Amino acid sequence: MTQTLKQHEWEKVLWKKQAHPDNYVPPELFLASLRRNPNFRPYTYWPLVVLSCSITQHLAVTFVFLAVFARLKEQILDPRSLICVSVLCFLIGYIIWNALDRRKENPERQATHLKALKSSIMMFLALMSLSPVLRTLSAATSSDSIWALSVVLFSLNALLADYTATKPEDSHEGLSSVLSMNAAVSASVVLASRLSTDVSVFALMLFSIQSFALFPILRHRLQSSSISVWGLITIGLSFLALYLINDLSRTIMWLCFSTLFFVTLIAPGVLLWAQKYKNIIRGPWDVAVPKVH
Amino acid sequence: MEPISIAMISDFFHPAVGGVENHIYMLSANLIRRGHKVIVITHSHAPDRVGIRWLLPSLKVYYIPHLPIASSATLPNFLTSLPYLRTILLREHIHLIHAHASLSAIGHEAILHSHLMGIRTVFTDHSLFGFDDAASILTNKLMVGNLKNVDAVICVSHTGRENTVLRGQLFERNKDDSQILQLRKSVYVIPNSLVAQQFKPCIQEPKETITIVVLSRLAYRKGIDLLVATAPKICQLFPNVNFVVGGDGPKLIEILQMREKHRLQDRIELLGPVRHKDVLSVLSRGSIFMNTSLTEAFGIAILEAACAGLYVVSTKVGGVPEILPEDMISFAKPEEDVRAISEAIDIVQNGLHDPIKAHERIKTFYNWEDVAIRTEKVYHTVLQSRQIELMERIRRTMDIGPFAGLIYTIILLVDCVFFLFLEWWMPREDIHYVHHHWSQERFKELVEQAEKER
Repeated sequence: MTQTLKQHEWEKVLWKKQAHPDNYVPPELFLASLRRNPNFRPYTYWPLVVLSCSITQHLAVTFVFLAVFARLKEQILDPRSLICVSVLCFLIGYIIWNALDRRKENPERQATHLKALKSSIMMFLALMSLSPVLRTLSAATSSDSIWALSVVLFSLNALLADYTATKPEDSHEGLSSVLSMNAAVSASVVLASRLSTDVSVFALMLFSIQSFALFPILRHRLQSSSISVWGLITIGLSFLALYLINDLSRTIMWLCFSTLFFVTLIAPGVLLWAQKYKNIIRGPWDVAVPKVH
Repeated sequence: MEPISIAMISDFFHPAVGGVENHIYMLSANLIRRGHKVIVITHSHAPDRVGIRWLLPSLKVYYIPHLPIASSATLPNFLTSLPYLRTILLREHIHLIHAHASLSAIGHEAILHSHLMGIRTVFTDHSLFGFDDAASILTNKLMVGNLKNVDAVICVSHTGRENTVLRGQLFERNKDDSQILQLRKSVYVIPNSLVAQQFKPCIQEPKETITIVVLSRLAYRKGIDLLVATAPKICQLFPNVNFVVGGDGPKLIEILQMREKHRLQDRIELLGPVRHKDVLSVLSRGSIFMNTSLTEAFGIAILEAACAGLYVVSTKVGGVPEILPEDMISFAKPEEDVRAISEAIDIVQNGLHDPIKAHERIKTFYNWEDVAIRTEKVYHTVLQSRQIELMERIRRTMDIGPFAGLIYTIILLVDCVFFLFLEWWMPREDIHYVHHHWSQERFKELVEQAEKER
């Protein structure tokens, strides 16, 4: 009995003449090798919040920058004090950067310090000499176009920025993060043309370099340090942004607040909820990935 | 069995060459041999292949003037070929159309139009697709819409069937419990086949050197990276092993670089593009066939090589594990892994693989006549089943989804209106019907007569 049963058993082969019709397949064997959501690890809420902090920080920095620009334009803020703040921020940032780097011993520390100093002075001088040009660069364009252009460029900056948490050492910047930085600097250039004096243009550009070119690099290093510092920085930047904007307009402040709140606390929840719709189908038909060293 | 009139419809047909093209031709030839009437409808080829041509044995081919966009595929336009197809299908008195390949737009169109003329539809899928890249998502969405209303689907391997069923959502509700989705009964597996007589093994003198043959398009999907990584290792491990690589493609440069870097010019021979009729002569130079494909629905090249008496080493992907019994093939993981090839060299060196016996065995496994009989059975089942009503079609199409379903229903209805317009504009009475079919007997008589006269 078992012998005859065995003979008629269906096999998943093509070369054998089988006793079954061509449209037959045992339901239990059909799609037996299908795997749904392999290597699936559900997210949990708080780690996601921690990860989304880098987006919050980036947005907060953008808001701070815009608030500073508005003050410069209204001539409430003295550009000289902004330059001082920028230089101070740079020094603090550089010290933190080095402190976090100390764990990995670097024999050529002296040389890198010198190099950093040299390039920052170069940058300083280049910006200073360029600022009269930058001030008049897009002066002929109407302000409406400038606002629209800067909105587009800042959105591009926020969309393309590199928010990844882990980053291997000495890895090259990806194309998107380079594009993101360029978009932000271009946005600052077009905004700078609305300012009245060369000094304020210089101050704004210096501040833009700080916040959009140097801060993201520091952020990556900060993220791998402790979570409490990370959280404190996020909260600090957010409150700074809200405080600076509050003086300009209450409505915009609430708008910023809701944006930051959504990004930090609600968006991770939405992602958690959306996870139940995740459906990755894997099977023998997938293109194999060759493992070649 | 009653002879039926069948139209094979695909973008891929002679003069282009490839697996699908060959499949359609061989299937048609064998169906004709079994007394059916078969025509092929495909798109035209530059510079002048347009209109009606005849291929041996009495296979009529319609080349519709459509321009292919890339690699012999035409744009999916849903409606434009209806005037052509309507005229051809009506004048040829077609009962059933058989569309081939999921990237063939004209095949999908034919499935969409055929019900208007009361013609039944069968679809054969020849390839595997993933689910996570943009091209696959778009093709799959196109396919879901068309396969909702097809009468039968044929796949070339069991893995291919699983893939097609998932891509085309070929499920139906269980009769007893409408919550359970089960596989449609109209999905068949009929393998590809080969003409075993064309791949007879050559009796070779036992030689010291073992030649490994690689015959494939040199592209990423064929796993040429694996070949580049393993070939130097194999050459190093086995001093008596040589390679013969046939084919052309973007990865040729990498193979050339590898050969140069490891100084293997005298051990790895590159043949460049190999014509189909020269395949046997290339195969007969070696005793092991290496296939490094990363995906393969059926793997006809493997079968041809095995039939020519070569021992096969292949990556275990797609439908490849189904086509040969385990003692004729060694499987490797898609890694830099020489274990399978060493096993194969061992088997061949010790004379454990008998080419003549392998050939005889494969002859019993696959032949086109068997494929034709099995396909015929599908045709008869389809012709006996009930045609799907228009309302049922609309309901099924709406099931696809809130957006795609609506779009497809609109296409379906516009197609009906277009058809009615054509019925008025080009009435059926005015169509130039085919009354005289090819008669094999008459042809034979004429040939004999001509020979006598000579």
